[in-house]
Amino acid sequence: MTTESMTMTKALNEGLRAALAANDRVLLMGEDIGTLGGVFRVTEGLKTEFGENRVLDTPLAESGIVGTAIGLAMRGFRPVCEIQFDGFIYPGFDQITSQLAKLTARNEGNQRFPVVIRVPYGGHIGAVEHHQESPEAYFAHTAGLRVVSPATPHDAYWMIQQAIAGDDPVLFFEPKSRYWPKGDVDRSASDTPLHASRVVRTGTDATLVGHGAMVATLLQAAEIAAEEGTSLEVVDLRSLSPIDYAPILASVQKTGRLVVAQEAPGHVSVGSEIAATIAERAFYSLQAPVLRVSGFDTPFPPAKLESAYLPDADRVLEAVDRALAY
Amino acid sequence: MAQEFPLPDVGEGLTEAEIVSWKVKPGDTVTVNQVLVEIETAKSLVELPSPFAGTVTELLFEEGATVEVGAPIIRVDSSGGTIELQAPRGGDTVGEVGDTKASAPAPAEESSGAVLVGYGSSGHGATRRRRRPGAVATTAEGATADGAKASARRPVATGSAMPIIAKPPIRKLAKDLDVDLAGVTGTGVGGEITREDVVRGASQATVFRNLETPAWPEEREERIPVKGVRKAIATAMVQSAFTAPHVSVFTDVNATRTMEFTRRLKDSAQFAGIRVSPLLVMAKAVIWAVQRNPTVNSTWTDAEIIVHHYVNLGIAAATPRGLIVPNIKDAQNLSLRELAMALEQLTVTARDGKTTPADMSQGTITITNLGSFGMDTGTPILNPGEVGIVALGAIKQKPWVVDGEVRPAYVTTVSAAFDHRIVDGDVASRFTADLASVIEEPALLLD
Amino acid sequence: MSYTEATIQLLSPEGSLVESDVTAPYLEKITALSDAQLRDFHRHMVVTRRFDIEAGNLQRQGQLALWIPSLGQEAAQVGSAYAARAQDHIFPAYREHAVGRVRGLDPMRIIELLRGLSHGGWNPADTGNFHLYTLVIGSQALHATGYAMGLTLDEATGTGDPGSDAAVVAYFGDGATSQGDVSEALVFAASYQAPILFFLQNNHWAISVPVERQSRTPLYLRGTGFGIPSVQIDGNDVLASYAVSATFLDEARGGGGPRFIEALTYRMGAHTTSDDPTKYREKEDERFWAERDPIARFESFLRAKGEGDAFFAEVSAEAEDLAADVRTRTLALGLPSTEKMFAVYSDPHPLMDEQRAWLAAYESSLDEVTE
Repeated sequence: MTTESMTMTKALNEGLRAALAANDRVLLMGEDIGTLGGVFRVTEGLKTEFGENRVLDTPLAESGIVGTAIGLAMRGFRPVCEIQFDGFIYPGFDQITSQLAKLTARNEGNQRFPVVIRVPYGGHIGAVEHHQESPEAYFAHTAGLRVVSPATPHDAYWMIQQAIAGDDPVLFFEPKSRYWPKGDVDRSASDTPLHASRVVRTGTDATLVGHGAMVATLLQAAEIAAEEGTSLEVVDLRSLSPIDYAPILASVQKTGRLVVAQEAPGHVSVGSEIAATIAERAFYSLQAPVLRVSGFDTPFPPAKLESAYLPDADRVLEAVDRALAY
Repeated sequence: MAQEFPLPDVGEGLTEAEIVSWKVKPGDTVTVNQVLVEIETAKSLVELPSPFAGTVTELLFEEGATVEVGAPIIRVDSSGGTIELQAPRGGDTVGEVGDTKASAPAPAEESSGAVLVGYGSSGHGATRRRRRPGAVATTAEGATADGAKASARRPVATGSAMPIIAKPPIRKLAKDLDVDLAGVTGTGVGGEITREDVVRGASQATVFRNLETPAWPEEREERIPVKGVRKAIATAMVQSAFTAPHVSVFTDVNATRTMEFTRRLKDSAQFAGIRVSPLLVMAKAVIWAVQRNPTVNSTWTDAEIIVHHYVNLGIAAATPRGLIVPNIKDAQNLSLRELAMALEQLTVTARDGKTTPADMSQGTITITNLGSFGMDTGTPILNPGEVGIVALGAIKQKPWVVDGEVRPAYVTTVSAAFDHRIVDGDVASRFTADLASVIEEPALLLD
Repeated sequence: MSYTEATIQLLSPEGSLVESDVTAPYLEKITALSDAQLRDFHRHMVVTRRFDIEAGNLQRQGQLALWIPSLGQEAAQVGSAYAARAQDHIFPAYREHAVGRVRGLDPMRIIELLRGLSHGGWNPADTGNFHLYTLVIGSQALHATGYAMGLTLDEATGTGDPGSDAAVVAYFGDGATSQGDVSEALVFAASYQAPILFFLQNNHWAISVPVERQSRTPLYLRGTGFGIPSVQIDGNDVLASYAVSATFLDEARGGGGPRFIEALTYRMGAHTTSDDPTKYREKEDERFWAERDPIARFESFLRAKGEGDAFFAEVSAEAEDLAADVRTRTLALGLPSTEKMFAVYSDPHPLMDEQRAWLAAYESSLDEVTE
């Protein structure tokens, strides 16, 4: 067993290192990722180790980063872009959705576009505007992209390598509030496919589903509920596009109740899609409507208000209570 | 070979154009790409080049006419073989938004299908593709996870992998009627539990709540022949009502302890799987109270009053065919558990219509459970040959004075009617008070 | 109109060579060309124009949803395309039909795109590295720059061997220079000294908006502003287009970093067949540029050099043949398979499988569409 306790940033760093070593067409590009090692130090030491032709400090231009990454992919490279913060992805939105997402289809099999775009996202870090967003839904909704988000260092280590190894564009959302807490990483083998969802805590009374930083909140809610005599099952979504519904459906068949939780605003969100799909596919298993716990449909507020904005264990349990009341 | 040139959509989504000026006339020889006509669209003036070589035979529209995209505008007799021209797509089945010619008035509340002004209609008589005979409708994106409709399933207890197949409104109905879906057999497609299944599974009494308001019948009256069970009931009622002078007494009592007692019985292993309700407590109470007030458990004949030293406890049962009163023979010998089972058996038998005349004869005293109809109390009529009948009312939360304070408590009205030829007011009251005291404190049954 | 003193012109509108200190080094490249190569310039321009007109007619006959004319821009395109070497990569916008022809693209690929059968779909490896059309304005400039950066990382450029060193040409228009992506491409190209030639066809119109609205400075100065050596040429002069492009491309592939050419030309036709230029531009404007037509001036040049009617008739006939061939092949085109719709990912994807299967089941449950 090669299990080691490490932060998610270290896990990502190790995963990137392994990817760079495994395939010399892999290269990293982004603002401040080379000499500085990234504002979150995720790429620390990689430029020293692999050189400036494998780890590029780019000009300050998100559209430029993604657009040139596309050109590099056409040349046969496997670029891994870093967008420095979630709120800064929008200048690159057009290159991601009008170009990267559509190029595979447009080229009818003649070219591959193995571009990975890493994005630190989510709240709970007390940051200023544009630094705590959850824009996953825009990209999950865009055909031609794959969207994933690890919740633990172990998953971060393996999923970044799997994303890089795949031939499709991947939006890789890294929950920055989980960057520094440590977790065990088993480096011996990857046990889970990139797009698989997974039950991380078993229970019988209701199912909780979430991704990224929300998973820790759901586990916390489950612990509290257990002391109150309620048994909750928690599913880590891991992949937002495509979504692996099988474990969720099996869970709902068992518990009959589902609560989906996300930091992102609820209107037209990934949680809404899950709710609709489960209502359709598990209609006869449901004892209660599927409930969603989301951020409010407002721009992310000033940091002093984030604890009111972001769903916490109490908000999750409030929804659980409502579900159980049916 | 005559060929037609349909008006193309020259500007990405145009639906019509006006013929401005023809550049050719019938009889002219034209070559491919020769300009035939100038048209005006919403966007601009456009010249249309000929797709054919040949002789113009007919101009199909005059200058100034507005033509829909797709309509042929010119006929050419083509010398060099035919060319297949695909009719342009778009504009041929769906009309423009705001097509005022075909728009309906603002949708009236009464007429369904009316479309709000401005949305237009499809104009051309929209149609849908027909399903091929024998084709199966596609399920949404493959089989549903619980594969609900694929095969008939028997619902099983929760906790297993097989789901109970019931739609949300049916689940709510079951909850309202206190029916456990796990015990219901679904008769719908694929084992789905239908409304009727739930209603059938409901307890005998809860069935008799009005669930729907039927429409007024068209006929002015309906005539039901008096025969069978109805005739028998009528005869018995008349005999009772106009032979025995009825007197009734009522008392309200705090039934909280009966509710708690019932709940604890339900949870106990001894009573697992056996239906336990306040009626059971009342049944035991009646037996105990009869022991203390024997004359209420008797029969009047003109010559003598026969006091029975056994209790054949009748339970009034409402069935689809009418009221019947089967009785539990020698109920005084039954343990609480045996009594519970006997009550359940009696109920099921009555609901299934299998009660025999023997079951219904030799009763000595009767309980009627008006509470299951939600009624607080009533004035029942004696079962012919009996001297007492007890009515158990609904047990509801009501204000009650406890230790000098008004508090919510489970309260019920115990009432009883008697044949006043045998039972005077004091016996009536003592008997009824005994019933009430058991309801108030079931531990008295340990006497 | 946008001509400045800096505009490099080798061939006057009358068809005679312009000799000066500025043009001298470029004229050397012209004298190095064979007569056959010069005839090729003419052939490419004439055939492309005839193809273009035929495609416009096909659109008016309902065979194409849209046509995007390249009329008037043949010299800018043919000259620069001819200057690129076989190993170079070309990133067009969506009007570079002549460049495609020079690089070996079957014109039917463009027809299929505009008839609605594909979004491009041709393989650059089979078409002289002529990449797909990009319809979002300016986006291709970044892809081209990224590709050029890749050439550097691969050491496939700047080795000193022009026979193998590769470069990239990015085509875009005057409207595109206002788009952020073009500026970002210039930033990246300069920063990484990528081997890329930015070839701007200033055809003076972005649909109905004149170039004066896009810029208060000659557009080639934009390149200079980013630190990229930039010149302005007479884009209707195929010789200037060829010579300056060849020079700049060799400088770029030699490790000299990016280059920028602004080719002054004119969009003689409409933006597309949905557009109506009579609504926004003057006849005098069009007349001015008609007098500077690229094909007319080159024909004068060739005739002065001794080419006779026979050659021009032959080219004309070839053009007619191609037009007829395109017409026939267009009318014979079928419909794409719905399979194409689900070919969205390189790796297997469960949702694609699910939806493809659903559509197949749905279609087989209904009667055929009758029209």
